Amino acid sequence: MDDIESKILDIVARETRQDREGVSLDLEISEIESLDLVQIIFAIEDEFDVYVPQEDESFKLDNLRDVVNGVRLLLEEKQAQSAQSA
Amino acid sequence: MHRVVITGMGCISALGHDADGHWRACRDGRSGIDTIRQVDPERLLIRVCGEVRDFDPVDHFEDRQLNLLDRVSQFAVFAARQALADSGLDLTPDVSRRCAVILGTGAGGMNTLDGQFHRLYAEGQKRVLPLTVPRLMVSAAVSHVTMDAGIRGPSFMISSACSSANHAIGEAMWMIRTGRARAALTGGTEACLTFGTIRGWEALRVMTPDVCRPFSHKRKGMVLGEGAGVFVLERLEDAQARGARIYAELIGFGMTADAGDIVFPSEEWAGTAIADALADAGLAPEDVDYINAHGTGTAANDVIETRAIRRAFGAAAERVAISSTKAVHGHALGGAGALELIPAVRAITDGVIPPTANFTEADPECDLDYVPNAPRPASVRVVLSNSFAFGGLNAVLALRAVA
Repeated sequence: MDDIESKILDIVARETRQDREGVSLDLEISEIESLDLVQIIFAIEDEFDVYVPQEDESFKLDNLRDVVNGVRLLLEEKQAQSAQSA
Repeated sequence: MHRVVITGMGCISALGHDADGHWRACRDGRSGIDTIRQVDPERLLIRVCGEVRDFDPVDHFEDRQLNLLDRVSQFAVFAARQALADSGLDLTPDVSRRCAVILGTGAGGMNTLDGQFHRLYAEGQKRVLPLTVPRLMVSAAVSHVTMDAGIRGPSFMISSACSSANHAIGEAMWMIRTGRARAALTGGTEACLTFGTIRGWEALRVMTPDVCRPFSHKRKGMVLGEGAGVFVLERLEDAQARGARIYAELIGFGMTADAGDIVFPSEEWAGTAIADALADAGLAPEDVDYINAHGTGTAANDVIETRAIRRAFGAAAERVAISSTKAVHGHALGGAGALELIPAVRAITDGVIPPTANFTEADPECDLDYVPNAPRPASVRVVLSNSFAFGGLNAVLALRAVA
């Protein structure tokens, strides 16, 4: 488990008020309460300094694995952008 | 018990500075949604809203009054003056003493709060303006309407987020019906398109970045609005005795609380509020010709509202016309029910059902008649107007043509 994955699982466990052991990458997004989900997205954006796009067809999130991969993608984009501007 | 009628209407919104202009845009599906001007759009993710344009308070208020009026109070007083003038009600000392002023607002004086706190937190100033508190208090708009018009009856603000105006109008109607007030100025007002408020709404992820498409497939969310709608309510016999023009009769009010999720609506309790409004009015679902929906354009609301209507209406849901005018004026939150009562009333008086604008494609989960895109001429006798708030506070009004 890498750092990104670990941090996201921490956030989800905290925002859904459960033990970290109970949260796996297979957790379906549809099982998370809407209000918790909004808090989770906000916390992820804060943690990684990214913007998680809303209403983006290319950004399909079914489970936490997708979220982790999505954040990885956002971080790569960010890195590429800062490399470009450097 | 007294029958209660609407004899005056006033309005300011993204669609115009009077009730008639607001109605004509709703009827024609003409949008008032545009890029925001009050806040620098470059600092926002969501940049569109239903903003009141070309309203210069200096044209309407004296200096002394202006110092005291947040934008939310300016809108309320401006619309209240129109409604009173439109009704021709003579506020004699006796009428004034027994006239109520009951308005709804979600946020109150948010421009004052945002602006004055910015001085402290961002600009490092030591003080805020001395009139900050009386400007931002949630009830300020009601106080200013009473002062401006000289009304001395039971007066207070109701705050129930997006249902505030409907709660206010329903309560005013019940007060007159039961003899606790002789007449009322009622409605709702909102003006919270500030940087802080919009960022708050952005964070909830319920806002569309472009077009609001209520009940439409692939809708992306709601768009914020602002403005005020104010109505003069009277006893039917009083209105008839003075030969007033009567727009419509308010005949029912139903309200419930979901006691569930703080943001996700409940089809059961929204449906029960609709059923309660019908029961209060002594109506059957088959009697209803048109529903002005809450119809925010969020994924959740429009499906839940559809199911709530089905729950309350049964088979009659298939033949009732439903539309959301929020597509063109935006969601004015605590003022929403007031901005929506105007098209609800005019549908009756004009015989035209305003459309749901921006409708592109049917959503399999929203499977009723939403009057897409074009106004529909129809004989409209009975109308419902729905408001369902964050926090699960539901308020539904019923009105009827006065024969």
